[in-house]
Amino acid sequence: MKLLTKTNRVYLSFSTGIYLLTALAFYAIIKLVIYDEVESRLLVEKRDFEAYIQAHNSWQGGYFVENKIAVVPVKHALPTEDFKDTLILNRYDHELVPFRELTYYTRINGQAHRVSIRKSLIQSYRLIEVITVSMIAFLSLLFLCSFWFQSRLSGQLWQPFYNTLAKVRKFDLSSSTPLHLPAEEITEFNELNDVLQKMSEKIHQDYQSLKEFTENASHEIQTPLALINARVEQLIQSDTLTESQSYWLDEIYRASRRMSKLNQGLLLLAKIENRQFADVDLVDLYVLITEKLCDMDEVLQHKQLRVFTKGTATFPRMLPVVLAEVLLSNLVSNAIKHNVPGGLIRIESTTGQLCISNTGPAPTIPPDRLFERFKKGRDATPYVSPTPHDNEGMETIGEENAPKQYAPMNSVGLGLAIVKQIGDSYGLTITYTFADGEHRICLR
Amino acid sequence: MKMLVVEDERGLAESVSAYLTKEGFICEIASTYAEADEKIFLYRYDCVVVDLTLPGGDGFSLIKSLKSLSATTGIIIISARDALEDKIKGLEIGSDDYLTKPFHLSELNARVKSLIRRRNFGGHNEIRFQEIQVLPNSRKVYIHDRETPLSRKEYDLLLYFLSNIDVALTKVSIAEHLWGDDIDSADSLDMVYSHIKNLRRKLIEKGAADYVRSIYGIGYKFGLS
Repeated sequence: MKLLTKTNRVYLSFSTGIYLLTALAFYAIIKLVIYDEVESRLLVEKRDFEAYIQAHNSWQGGYFVENKIAVVPVKHALPTEDFKDTLILNRYDHELVPFRELTYYTRINGQAHRVSIRKSLIQSYRLIEVITVSMIAFLSLLFLCSFWFQSRLSGQLWQPFYNTLAKVRKFDLSSSTPLHLPAEEITEFNELNDVLQKMSEKIHQDYQSLKEFTENASHEIQTPLALINARVEQLIQSDTLTESQSYWLDEIYRASRRMSKLNQGLLLLAKIENRQFADVDLVDLYVLITEKLCDMDEVLQHKQLRVFTKGTATFPRMLPVVLAEVLLSNLVSNAIKHNVPGGLIRIESTTGQLCISNTGPAPTIPPDRLFERFKKGRDATPYVSPTPHDNEGMETIGEENAPKQYAPMNSVGLGLAIVKQIGDSYGLTITYTFADGEHRICLR
Repeated sequence: MKMLVVEDERGLAESVSAYLTKEGFICEIASTYAEADEKIFLYRYDCVVVDLTLPGGDGFSLIKSLKSLSATTGIIIISARDALEDKIKGLEIGSDDYLTKPFHLSELNARVKSLIRRRNFGGHNEIRFQEIQVLPNSRKVYIHDRETPLSRKEYDLLLYFLSNIDVALTKVSIAEHLWGDDIDSADSLDMVYSHIKNLRRKLIEKGAADYVRSIYGIGYKFGLS
């Protein structure tokens, strides 16, 4: 609900309530005043009647006009005297006319009588009606005027707030233009703008230093890693290494490569999160993924994987080309890595959906946690060559280097996290399912 | 062949220089921008290896002044930054190659040699090792002067070996040389194995001696044992 709608609504209901209460109170007061007046007149007439009775000691009527007084003989006089409203049929136009009636008991000539003196209220009712109608008219006018004025006023009063809101909404952290909010007449808005301005400057500064930090950290980490790599490479040139020394060196070498890959992966994630890839382009992901598969041709042949592509629609999306490449090569290498020898990879592109499925063992981690960082399933099945190594009579070259002894190199566990991050940042929904021995990842 | 290694990490500079010296280059080291600037002004180098982030200055401006002083010097950038913009900028201002840290010394060596071949002979040269002769321009291989057809990867592999004679090469460095950094390791190591096996078989079939040796746990070495 908008602020102005809310204030208008509150104002409207509150003033309607007040208005109704005022009207009721007004009505009650007028009525009270009129009744008071009528009753005091009735009492005056009662005194006149008493005086008449005392003077004449009898009652013939005629002193008062019709309906004005009724004198009825009763057995016992009661000591009461009370007022009540009553309706009496008008003799001429047969209408019920409201009267105020004073009833009391008196003795005329020793005989008990009940005396009812009445006074027509029709004039007073007319008065109440006129006063009520004019009051409704004036109050409504006042009410409408103040409502209109109030909404105009608050619209104008809140304008700076809406300006600020629009500017803050447009503020883009990754662009270098700072947030500029003008000084306002109203102190509170001025303070708000001040605070926002300072806050945005701080955020911008933090963002910049974070950006620099991730880049510098990457540089600072890669350089010592390069040194480790270089020194290991020099060390392995030595002819006097024992087998276990070679093994250790290989471990050091692999660990440093992994660390470097990890560092690059984390840096990439940070860059995507910080939206440091600015130039988006329209990329057909279906075309690109088939190209990626072609690039991997040699690995596919090596693992004897069959590829089926079925594209009934293109899959164009807006995202940076570099990230599109990363996204798809991660998906493709994932499909290759977690495959079985002689398995298959299926690419399907239908309207609004691009899916890549591959055969493979059932996942060892729950599907909803698959896209988290450092969530690794079991290592890819170590590849076992389908045909025995035939060395055709040659002296074997280092059988100890044969594939069956390779420990599968651990993946760093960031591939799918990167896929997810790219998806989240550029409006692609990524889902994973496993059914009938096939892993299936779909982009929507 | 004179080389200059511009790198502020002392150990890394030493490693590169030691590795290249062993390969027959005369190597000098500069570890600050000022030092490098002075050296390129005073001497002529065939190839310069430059780090982009240097104390006292930016590698890019060093490359620019180097280009204006001596246009024929080959330039290879080694940098921890792997942003595409840096690579494009480096090539635009006249560097010949770009290696992202951490790199393999054997890879750097192969790139330096390939660069010098291109610079000095425009590719019209030959690489000869014993009975093996390679013409890089036409990508042809001869053994005992008889043409030996090799697949693309086998050719790349042979050239990598010939650039690193008598050097222990790790399996990972071979895999990354053939397929790039992003190749999945477990599969690529298998493929390295089968390519080496095939290359070796083809060379031996054509009458070459067996120059490939495996080193336990590490990789392979090509050369006269």
